[in-house]
Amino acid sequence: MNPLPEFPAEEERYRALQELDPGTTGALEVLVAGLHDESWRVRHVAAETLKRLPSSRDVAERLIRVLDERGETGARNAAAEALAGLGGAALGPLVRLLSHPDPDQRKFAADILGQLGQRTAEMPLVQALEDPDLNVRVSVSEALGRVGGEHSARALEALLADPEPLLRLSALEGLALLRRPPPLHVVLALLDDSRLQRSAFRVLGLVPQVVATERICQGLASGVRSVREAALGALGTQVTLAESVRRGEIEAVVLAALRRLPDAGERLAQALEAEDVTVRAGALVAAAALGEPSLALPVAEAAREDRLLREVLNTLSRLGPEGGRALLGHMADLSSPARAAAAEALVDLVDADSVTALCALLEWAEDDLRAVVVRALGRTRSPEAVPPLVDLLVDPALAGAATRALGVLAGSNRAAVLAALEAAVARRATSAAVAALARVGGAPALPALRQLARDAEPTWRAAAVEAVSEVDGGVGRELARAALADEAMQVRISGVRAMGRLGGPEAGALLRPALHDEDVSVRLAAVEAVGACGAVDRATDLEVLVRHPDGALAVAAVRALSRLGLAVPGVLRNAASHPDAEVVKAALSAGAETEEGVSLALSLLGHPRWDVRAAAARVLGDSGGPECLDAARLALEAEADALARQTLSDAVERLSRR
Amino acid sequence: MTRFDDGRPEMTLEEFRLLRDHVYSHCGILVHEDMKFVMERRLWPRLEALGLMDFGAYHRYLRYDAQRHAELEAAVESLTTHETYFFREPSQLKAFCDELLPILEKRNGRTRRLRLWSAGCSSGEEAYTLAMLLKDSRRFDDWDVEVYGTDISRRVLTLARRAEYGPSALRATSADLLERFFVPVGNNRVRVRDEVRAWVSFGHHNLLDETGSQLVPRMDVVFCRNVMIYFDLAARRRVLRIVRDRLVPGGYLLLGHSENLLNLGADFELVHLRGDLVYRRPELPGLTGGEGR
Repeated sequence: MNPLPEFPAEEERYRALQELDPGTTGALEVLVAGLHDESWRVRHVAAETLKRLPSSRDVAERLIRVLDERGETGARNAAAEALAGLGGAALGPLVRLLSHPDPDQRKFAADILGQLGQRTAEMPLVQALEDPDLNVRVSVSEALGRVGGEHSARALEALLADPEPLLRLSALEGLALLRRPPPLHVVLALLDDSRLQRSAFRVLGLVPQVVATERICQGLASGVRSVREAALGALGTQVTLAESVRRGEIEAVVLAALRRLPDAGERLAQALEAEDVTVRAGALVAAAALGEPSLALPVAEAAREDRLLREVLNTLSRLGPEGGRALLGHMADLSSPARAAAAEALVDLVDADSVTALCALLEWAEDDLRAVVVRALGRTRSPEAVPPLVDLLVDPALAGAATRALGVLAGSNRAAVLAALEAAVARRATSAAVAALARVGGAPALPALRQLARDAEPTWRAAAVEAVSEVDGGVGRELARAALADEAMQVRISGVRAMGRLGGPEAGALLRPALHDEDVSVRLAAVEAVGACGAVDRATDLEVLVRHPDGALAVAAVRALSRLGLAVPGVLRNAASHPDAEVVKAALSAGAETEEGVSLALSLLGHPRWDVRAAAARVLGDSGGPECLDAARLALEAEADALARQTLSDAVERLSRR
Repeated sequence: MTRFDDGRPEMTLEEFRLLRDHVYSHCGILVHEDMKFVMERRLWPRLEALGLMDFGAYHRYLRYDAQRHAELEAAVESLTTHETYFFREPSQLKAFCDELLPILEKRNGRTRRLRLWSAGCSSGEEAYTLAMLLKDSRRFDDWDVEVYGTDISRRVLTLARRAEYGPSALRATSADLLERFFVPVGNNRVRVRDEVRAWVSFGHHNLLDETGSQLVPRMDVVFCRNVMIYFDLAARRRVLRIVRDRLVPGGYLLLGHSENLLNLGADFELVHLRGDLVYRRPELPGLTGGEGR
């Protein structure tokens, strides 16, 4: 086989390597030649393909030889890239390379070991900190920050006393990466060195002590912007790590520091625009402590970074009514994520004077924002909020929120809410008004609702049946019974739901036809209703459905049987063998407290789905006996999924105590 | 009665994982582990609208309900922020105008046809910005020009077609551009002028959907800025394959200023412009361009 084909065009050489079969004899040398190509694209595709070659150890040894080719910078870098992609196979050759006579080679080895990030390289790297070459030692130090482990942390901590600033810096950065702060007095001493200050602040943020907060606050007063930002970054980290009870202490210290700064608000507004997200996080913490309403808009804009949403909402809620007014007056000027955050904060900041401004916000197209505004309107306690909320009942996306908001508003304005809803129902504005009317109006609304249940339009009949069932059991049963025989599917569903809610001795028999309805939605509603009303006489129908290929029906049947207390071993076994994992989890949940459930859980610890294994582990933790411990331990050793592992670990811990 | 009257349900870590995986399998959008809070807040209104008690019920709804496809779209819309504005990342736009447009004018001079794709266009600001820049250059006045904006969210496409914007969208728009390309419509809002809108069309498109991408014509330039931040490595690679397929050989790909194609293969060439770095689909060997539409 020729080495790299001598195609004249870069694209041809690129494609030749891209299409090269890694299993072909001689492929290794073709690819190594590709590492030396003048085009970075060709070098890159060569490196990528090398990672897929069989016999990775041979590949690693060959690539190490490329690293030794002085003057071939492109090839050496591409070889390093390929080595980093080889994983464990490259470890041995790279560790040996740490002893190469050429410091360049040793530095390469350290850099690539850092990229591999494998803990087994920890001790060789720690030993390599004795390297006579400073550049190698710095690379080793950086690599230790990525590799992690107890020895790495101790070695890096020791380096903080090294006379060489570059080493101290890389050690600090490594400790920050590992989130392993050294003792406070060591960090405080390093803060005095301007070359190390930014990194020292990063590490200081990892120290959850008020003394650390006080020192961070000194940084907030610095005349140098980069120092202030480093301090804010530390503050953001510290609050993330602090428990909620400690947050108050931290904020008190921050507030005291900010009060000494005449331009604190201005500085925080500037920091809220910083590139670094940790700086913005710290600025939000400081803004919350300061409670300065003029910061409302820049605080809201910080929500453009999703990860800051929690802190933004917390801070906005601390800016009081004046902050709320600032937001309300400038909503149109805010970016979309800022508006969403501001709207949510406004729910807690509105009063009766806010109705007009809130209604203006409803002109927006964003449904999720409008839903928040609807909630806010419900909390204004103003009669002016009634008409817009009733109007919103026609919008399917907002009808639920508007109904609930009207319920809240009825607490202070019942008559106005009732009159508006009656008018809306009378003019057939929307079926959502029916549910709202029943909720607010109660028994006096029954005549109107009864009439609606005989309406020509199925929408009204369906709405009336469900609404009545919430107001009066007797009337509700009567209407529900009729609805179960309705020709319209949506009315039958309403009848089924109403029957499920109301129950009664005849409920099971009445629901039976619905369990065999031609429409699957009706059947699904019926299964849930049987469980809800305790119709044990329908257990046989449900047991059949447990094996139904439609996962939704099968899940509902298992849950309903569980509610009825009839999730017997046979049901659980059938459900556990269903191809849909949701049905299997429903079985585990249904049998959680039974012997059969525990046995099922043991058999499912090796299920291919992580969520099923986690559910099985939960059952064992809740109900298993000491005899389950060995199986749980074995499963824990084999578990690769983090969440399932955590659940199993909890189960093992609980089982060990039994 | 839902629990919303007393307080909102919390999302367990398990529910978060299940919902996250479900969304990912649909559209490749990856919600990171540290975004549970954000996911919870953004999906609460969906639970409220559907009258569901908790996120487990919401997951079952997405799995089994007859409306699950529509609801999945609604969930994705809630999870993806649509923060954009006119003339965003001006240095890249300047490089596009000063350096790429002359190349495109020369290259497509024979066909006098130009196609630009604003992939993940959100509410349309970027697509309209590109049309405005083309208008401003005066190079393509009597050409067959189309700027095609696509997004996975149907809701934002409705806004894009409406073409009405407020101050936030205009925060990087100069008074001169405002005067030339927009008309006031009251309430501090403006609408994009009809002559700009005539060059822009919109469509619904999931960037991971290879079949659907066949509806996208071959493009001379693709702007895919701040879109791939939502995807993991595997999904980014899939998106890039699709984008490459939709570009003419020699066509350009422009990413957001914080994005690059590191670790994503080398299907594109890196092109060093004076003012920016862009990517280009390589020419086919032996051809100098102009084919492949």
